[in-house]
Amino acid sequence: MRFAVDTGGTFTDLVVEDDDGVCRLFKAATTPHDPVAGMLDALSLAAAAEGQPLAEFLARGASLLHGTTHAINAIITGRTAKTAFVTTAGHGDMLVLREGGRAETFNFTHRFPEPYIPKSLTFEVPERVMADGSVREALDEKAVLDMIDKLRASGAEAVAVSLLWSIVNPAHELRVGELLAKHLPDIPFTLSHQLNPAIREFRRASSAAVDASLKPMMGRYMRDLESRLRQAGFGGRVLIVTSQAGVIDAADAARAPIHIVNSGPSMAPIAGRYYAAVDSAAEDAIIADTGGTTYDVSIVRKGTIPTTRETWIGPRYRGIMLGFPWVDVKSVGAGGGSIASIDSGGLLHVGPASAGAVPGPAAYGRGGTRATVTDAAVTLGYVDPAYFLGGAMKLDAELAREAVQRDVATPGGLPLAEAANAIITIATENMVQAILDITVKQGIDPREAVLIGGGGAAGLNSVRIARRLGCRTLIIPETGPALSAAGALMSELKAEYHVALVAHTDGFDHAAVDAALAGLAEKARQFAEGPGAGALETRIAFKADARYATEVWEIEVPLRGGSIANAYDLATFVEDFHRTHETLFSFRDEGSAIEVVGWSAEVTCRLSEARDLKLAPPTSLRERAPRPAWFAGVGWSDVPVHRFEALEPGVILQGPAIVENDYTTVVVDPGATAERRPSGSLVIDVG
Amino acid sequence: MDLVTLALLNNRFEGVARKMANTLLRTGRSGVLNIARDFSCCIVTADAELLVANEGLPIHVLSGPDLMAKVMKEYCPTLKKGDAFINNSPYHGCSHAADHTILVPVVDDKGKHRFTVLAKAHQADIGNSIPTTYHGSAKDVYEEGALIFPSVRVQEDYRTNEDFVRMCRMRIRVPDQWWGDFLAALGAARIGEQEITAMAEEVGWDVLEAFCGEWLDYSERRMVEAVRALPAGRAIRTSRHDPFPGTPEDGIPVKVDVTIDPAEARITVDLTDNMDCLPCGLNLSEACSRTAAMVGIFNSIDHTVPKNAGSFRRIELKLRENCVVGIPRFPISCSVATTNVADRVANPVQCAIAEIAEGQGMAECGAVIPPSVAVISGIHPRDGKPFINQVFLGMTGGAASPTADAWLTIGHVGNAGMCNLDSVELDELRQPLYVASRRLLPDTEGPGERTGAPSIAVEFGPVDCEISVGYVSDGVVNASLGVRGGGRGGAANQFLVEPDGSRQPLPSCAQVSVRDGQLVLSISAGGGGYGDPRRRPVDEVARDVRLGRISAERAGTIYGVAVDPDGTIDRERTARLRNAA
Repeated sequence: MRFAVDTGGTFTDLVVEDDDGVCRLFKAATTPHDPVAGMLDALSLAAAAEGQPLAEFLARGASLLHGTTHAINAIITGRTAKTAFVTTAGHGDMLVLREGGRAETFNFTHRFPEPYIPKSLTFEVPERVMADGSVREALDEKAVLDMIDKLRASGAEAVAVSLLWSIVNPAHELRVGELLAKHLPDIPFTLSHQLNPAIREFRRASSAAVDASLKPMMGRYMRDLESRLRQAGFGGRVLIVTSQAGVIDAADAARAPIHIVNSGPSMAPIAGRYYAAVDSAAEDAIIADTGGTTYDVSIVRKGTIPTTRETWIGPRYRGIMLGFPWVDVKSVGAGGGSIASIDSGGLLHVGPASAGAVPGPAAYGRGGTRATVTDAAVTLGYVDPAYFLGGAMKLDAELAREAVQRDVATPGGLPLAEAANAIITIATENMVQAILDITVKQGIDPREAVLIGGGGAAGLNSVRIARRLGCRTLIIPETGPALSAAGALMSELKAEYHVALVAHTDGFDHAAVDAALAGLAEKARQFAEGPGAGALETRIAFKADARYATEVWEIEVPLRGGSIANAYDLATFVEDFHRTHETLFSFRDEGSAIEVVGWSAEVTCRLSEARDLKLAPPTSLRERAPRPAWFAGVGWSDVPVHRFEALEPGVILQGPAIVENDYTTVVVDPGATAERRPSGSLVIDVG
Repeated sequence: MDLVTLALLNNRFEGVARKMANTLLRTGRSGVLNIARDFSCCIVTADAELLVANEGLPIHVLSGPDLMAKVMKEYCPTLKKGDAFINNSPYHGCSHAADHTILVPVVDDKGKHRFTVLAKAHQADIGNSIPTTYHGSAKDVYEEGALIFPSVRVQEDYRTNEDFVRMCRMRIRVPDQWWGDFLAALGAARIGEQEITAMAEEVGWDVLEAFCGEWLDYSERRMVEAVRALPAGRAIRTSRHDPFPGTPEDGIPVKVDVTIDPAEARITVDLTDNMDCLPCGLNLSEACSRTAAMVGIFNSIDHTVPKNAGSFRRIELKLRENCVVGIPRFPISCSVATTNVADRVANPVQCAIAEIAEGQGMAECGAVIPPSVAVISGIHPRDGKPFINQVFLGMTGGAASPTADAWLTIGHVGNAGMCNLDSVELDELRQPLYVASRRLLPDTEGPGERTGAPSIAVEFGPVDCEISVGYVSDGVVNASLGVRGGGRGGAANQFLVEPDGSRQPLPSCAQVSVRDGQLVLSISAGGGGYGDPRRRPVDEVARDVRLGRISAERAGTIYGVAVDPDGTIDRERTARLRNAA
């Protein structure tokens, strides 16, 4: 038996997979101050459903896969350790200056963001390595020892060390590390070249700073998590979902917590990749996860989940730039809670302001009065006010209609239903623009991709989104409302190793590159034989971060083997680069030399058998009565309502129709057809 | 048009501009494009009115694209599908010669011209007589030396005119780099064309045309409301550019006469009472004269007002021909039109608005272009090949606004912080360069209730070779000014540092050779403060001291806050200091 636990902002989702591959879904409230308690609550619910004591139930578990927002929340709320920053003399303002750039050209209401580590905890050490690895100025060890005294006096609880060009010659950074270990043995530190050996000093320093600052608390969290699970009776392996859509052992997560900062959104694309493969023939998929306040879009391109180093916590340019790769996710402020309004010039806006969960949409009756997307869906009859979240929460349709009338219909001079429809239309367009942004960036044509809707609110307008994008096929997986937890069940043990070695295709140093790649392969093998021992399957994939010689932004190009040993291999790589560049940017420049700035090896170990996820059927299925709903061009009509789980594969539903279960409502618009697949997914041909 | 279609199409046109910009950013070759983001993409209507622009450099887009689209139509009345034009002529609507602009007319199947899309990109080199795109001392366009393209067709039936390419390759330094940037800009414009055509197939050209009218009317309504929220008033401010070769001995004073008329919902900026064009590269093109004044206005009002021909209807600009901040005549040089004197227009406009309306407007941003943002060139010792590129090692210059301390890395007022800051490692990898240090200088912030940005000092030099460093550093004599009681930002400066550590001052406008072992020390201009520094919250002053941004002494004398170097506040003595003022 396996457990997957996704600790989100509001709910802790648990998926339990029994030994026959049948899954059950449980939800408990998240307990922000002690997330492990919420996890144990959800596990207790599952044990009770099985009629077993918790200890007995847990003892059956072979592994527990855990996605958590604990680290990112600590960063956002500033609850990380007091951390010092050590860098090359003359460059102590590195974290202050950042990389420049600014959004909203004419908006001067924002002040410049503070650095992740303040100047008062920044220490400069005399030393300098050059781009070719030569030492221009030797490390002044006396100065380092003086600095260590000051560090001790500062009360720092963690230290990040990032020196210029440590990626080419790490001697100075290593020596600082030795001295720190010797003189401040109880203070954890991070060396930038070991954590994130990538060019661009600010990003590397930022990665090191965030990692170091998380070490004390994530160490405690992982120890606490494991020991409480053990006490409760769990004897299996605890694995944590990483920002790169893999899993690592909890102890490894504690040693380099930066790996799990974006644990949350990285799981949905793993599940999306699975459903795209079983339910469609498309090579590319767009995975949209709809929450209450944000809409997260990720991508699967030819079976792989692309990552990015443009990783911001908070708004771009004003948040914290991690510089550490994670699954490329585009988030926009659009969801069920997005607020609709008409401005003084007469233009309709939806979001990014959100009513959130509290006070929530007007229909919640919890004090929210402004019209939201959820209110529009209630007004149009898409959501049954008596059966929201399986009836767990009653909505007030009258409050929803009042809000839509007052905020949009009256000022816009529209009939009520048309006003509600307008809200959904604009929300849809905002979501579409988010999808277009990430697909352009990743070189995907949305017309050739499938759209996969996850999250409880995905079904409301996903048909419209697919139509606007020109996607023919929309997939709503049965596990969609808990897509992240489902993704965790499918994830594999993963590690990535990186080396910064610059190489030019005109004058390629085969020996140096092959030595670097062999070093990466050796590290990957060690991982496979260590944490990956006993895996059912192990794969190692190599790639290069490369660009045309005068470009500055690298792209990832897979290497076909683990070496570029001869002219033939090089020619193959060059052609692969051109092709990848063309996919992303629609042109190639054959005349230009190619510059590689980094190489990496990713090792993946599959720990469990790959098999289909099946949701256990609910014990009772209540048939649903048709209800009036409004569609553009049709107006009000009684629309058939189907129970998601009761749909038999092969039966084709004609829109308009509504398909719902305890977790979600799917609107099948007029002209679309829907069919349940053996996988359990609802697959919609949007027409 | 119903309100849903209006909102929807606006969203989609903005999406088109964004997609064009993303393409250009990711495929541009020279650092000035892909690091500094010195480019812009926009869409203008068939009538040559600005409809929408990407979120790019403000000095690039507000006016200029409209002028260039108009010129294109005049010179080529029968536009065909597959045409593309280049314009970099300051006498024909372009900002300055370095900004190669690609214009693509979007033509429907019946041959009717519907829109024009533009991608404007600052080049690393344009074939000037010296290796820089900012030739401050050029006495005319001949000495400047760039190839000038006054709306020249470079593609027909989607095929590039190779004659044009050969001309550029015979003049522009590092021609492959230029060629890559040309492809990037052309690609961006073509993407704009495709996207608009696809949109028209979906909704129809007539709907798009109707949208343009409605959207511009909506934007005008928003502008009317924003201007009506301001008090009536008139203010005259002067900002002075430093003396450079070709300017009067005391530099170039720029006088702006700003009137806000809420009753008529109109803002007027009169630039006519200024000196004639000068025999140097600092003159503004018409595009930059107009845009700089508008930047000052839009920085000062409700930032959510759309910037397009609709809101521009509420702005009246008074310019005259042959004026240094007006309309230049051929062969006057406008080589440096987007930065130096343009900033001396935008800055006093936003200060004038601050004087008229408390809680609006801004202080002055710092001046540029210091050597840390120079065009550097030489022969790379690794392969013996020439290189040329503008580096962006550090410029600060942010002005205080009424509600926030400065954005540190604003660059200059016409850039608005869009520019990225170079990674030291990336610059040292790309060029034979050594960056010894880059540090913010304490006590150089423009003091105020809201503070301006401090100066940044950058030391850099060549590695195993000699490099040529070209820059045009304003702000050494005339530091940025504060408003409503706010003070000046730190002044700019530059020195040559010898291997023994001795330093000698460098001129403000120069092309300097730097030998192996020597370093250039570049100091950028800080930004001005907004409001009386003695009204700055005491805790913020103490924090600035604790973080080493200002000295305890300055906290006392300028801000009236008694504080220890560790940030401990003496509240009683502070009260006395502040009351005494």
